[in-house]
Amino acid sequence: MKNENKVLACVDQSHFADHVADYAAWAARRMDAPLEFLHVIDRHPELGSGEDHSGAIGIDAQENLLTKLSADDEARTKNAREQGRIFLNRLRERAFASGAALVDVRQRHGELEETLAEQAEGVRLLVLGRRGEAAETTQRDLGRNVEHVVRAVHKPILTVTAGFKEPQRVMIAFDGGNVTRRGVEMVAGSPLFRGLPIYLLMSGKESQDAHRQLDWAKTTLETAGFEVTALLTPGDAESTIAKTVKEQSIDMLIMGAFGHSRLRSLLFGSKTADLLRSSTIPTLLLR
Amino acid sequence: MMKSLRQDWLSNVRNDLLAGIVVALALIPEAIAFSIIAGVDPKVGLYASFCISAVIAFTGGRPGMVSAATGAMALLMVTLVKDHGLQYLLAATILTGVLQILAGWLKLGALMRFVSRSVITGFVNALAILIFLAQLPELTNVSWHVYAMTAAGLGIIYLFPYITKAVPSPLVTIVVLTAVAIFLGLDIRTVGDMGKLPDSLPIFLLPDVPLSLETLKIIFPVSATLAVVGLLESMMTASIVDDLTDTNSNKNRECVGQGIANITSGFLGGMAGCAMIGQSVINVKSGGRGRLSTLAAGVFLLLMVVFIGDWVARIPMAALVAVMIMVSIGTFNWASIRNLREHPKSSSVVMIATVVVVVATHDLAKGVLVGVLLSGFFFAHKVGQILRIKSMTADEGRVRIYTITGQVFFASAERFINAFDYKEVIEKVRIDVSRAHFWDITAVSALDKVVIKFRREATEVEVIGLNEASSTMVDKFAVHDKDGAEDMLMGH
Repeated sequence: MKNENKVLACVDQSHFADHVADYAAWAARRMDAPLEFLHVIDRHPELGSGEDHSGAIGIDAQENLLTKLSADDEARTKNAREQGRIFLNRLRERAFASGAALVDVRQRHGELEETLAEQAEGVRLLVLGRRGEAAETTQRDLGRNVEHVVRAVHKPILTVTAGFKEPQRVMIAFDGGNVTRRGVEMVAGSPLFRGLPIYLLMSGKESQDAHRQLDWAKTTLETAGFEVTALLTPGDAESTIAKTVKEQSIDMLIMGAFGHSRLRSLLFGSKTADLLRSSTIPTLLLR
Repeated sequence: MMKSLRQDWLSNVRNDLLAGIVVALALIPEAIAFSIIAGVDPKVGLYASFCISAVIAFTGGRPGMVSAATGAMALLMVTLVKDHGLQYLLAATILTGVLQILAGWLKLGALMRFVSRSVITGFVNALAILIFLAQLPELTNVSWHVYAMTAAGLGIIYLFPYITKAVPSPLVTIVVLTAVAIFLGLDIRTVGDMGKLPDSLPIFLLPDVPLSLETLKIIFPVSATLAVVGLLESMMTASIVDDLTDTNSNKNRECVGQGIANITSGFLGGMAGCAMIGQSVINVKSGGRGRLSTLAAGVFLLLMVVFIGDWVARIPMAALVAVMIMVSIGTFNWASIRNLREHPKSSSVVMIATVVVVVATHDLAKGVLVGVLLSGFFFAHKVGQILRIKSMTADEGRVRIYTITGQVFFASAERFINAFDYKEVIEKVRIDVSRAHFWDITAVSALDKVVIKFRREATEVEVIGLNEASSTMVDKFAVHDKDGAEDMLMGH
């Protein structure tokens, strides 16, 4: 089975997994790429099981403790593995049904971020739920893992929200920077959006440079055969993007992600995280 | 980095705090007991336990591992304290820390791979025996009340968990025995009789010693031993915690961390310490995993001792002895006794030798040295057995071919030399060493000796197939292919 250039869909046992599977199957079908579902089982070795506060240690204390801890881990892992296998198989069937040709599943031990960084080799597109199991019960808009993953993996990442709708109208949030310029070239060269109308949005002040950048992007896409509408709107990025998405009924957003250091986003907030929070449609993040 | 900081400190807050309390309760008796061993006031050990466990929470390389004042270290200080006093001990503690930081920078943690499993088992058992022996002064020449109290204490420690595991049973023991002693007005020794307890938070003090070469001469040998023993026990404990939690630790960071903790302890009036096996097991068992657990243990310990010090002073020593006997039982590797018969004799000998030397000298460093040397001996002896020499004649009885397979070095050189038949009347000998390894100068001179012995019998010798490794050794050191070789070696 060809494993190169695969679409990697990262799933956990939340109800987002179905939508992740749908988008991943859609992308795999359009790019004619193999699809792989990855389920990461994190045993959380940093968490203790604090039931025994007796503080008494007797004969063979160390051996008994080791036996007990490893038996606990074993039971938990076995359970997670079996559950994971069943739901991965269900997702595979779902992906077959929506037209993906080659679908494989994989479970890995470890931490999500590290595992993805290891697995990133040979991945063409990573699909990820914007919230997951851990975030299901909280009110956070953005799962904590998403930013970590986006920073750790230097591949295009499609982050999806609840619900699947086959993308019809795509918008590129263009800022003329290196990342989005490369993104425009990538979109132009990729079969993923071929045939879909593209809305090219640049927010900010009118300037000659901005127009030149926008024209370049428009030409690049048109040369590749896309039908492009380019627009330069004044105002801040977050609100213009949100407004345009609504007005033009855009159903997929493409943008550059996390251009600044972690420290800077810790102090001043991250534009990417804000945009991800405010946007309700699937977003393709480019690194 | 932010992420690992959060993971090390905040991922397990509730369990870490609870485990910290449990550990602090087990640390107090130990700190007091080890101060008494070292011959200083209990407050020295208590300050040390607070400083070391709090500082190591930030600087250590193994989250969740408990470090404090330990018996292994206390035993090494006895003479220094007796001859020169507390101030020299504080200076020695600071120097110990400096040496440990150096060891960390030089990445000496890697040397632990020469310490075999048997030596580690011996070390752990010796430690448990030393902790137990240290309790004997409290159990000799005392009234029967003390025995009864100690036995009752052990009973509570091991039976109370069957009722509930929510409360640390050592705490129950201490509270119950103290109450009984006060209620019955028993005339038995209490913690208050053993010396001063802390009455304030620790303060920064420079040790009051002359900064001279004379001082260095006094403290350096002690500090060097302390540094070695401290790091050995810390590295062993770290790998035990690694196994228990199925996570990795940073051994070199731990070396440096131990050093910083000891320096801090020395400046705040505490003695040197290191990681503790028993307490670390208690911490992991109670659910402690993160750095917060050891910080909490240190802080709780200090708060309890400083603010309820009057009550601590009334705890009967029998209660502490019971807790310490528990730690000793929990530290001892009982499986090693069952394994004595099954394991190879050599490894049992190494284990027992380590224990015997430590118990005899009260110095864990000496025990480990003997253990490591013995393991080396046994290993050399075993590998020396891997040497086969076959021979057959060729060319119609004119030539004899010796084929050597295996390891030739100091332990097998004798066998190598004796394997040849020098008295045989033959024209030529061909020694094929293409499947042998020559490891050292002893091996090379053994080959020289063989060649020369044959030459004296007028037998022509040809050595073939010296492989790459052996031939570099031979090229460097051999004399047999130079003129006058016989004279040089045989020296008549």
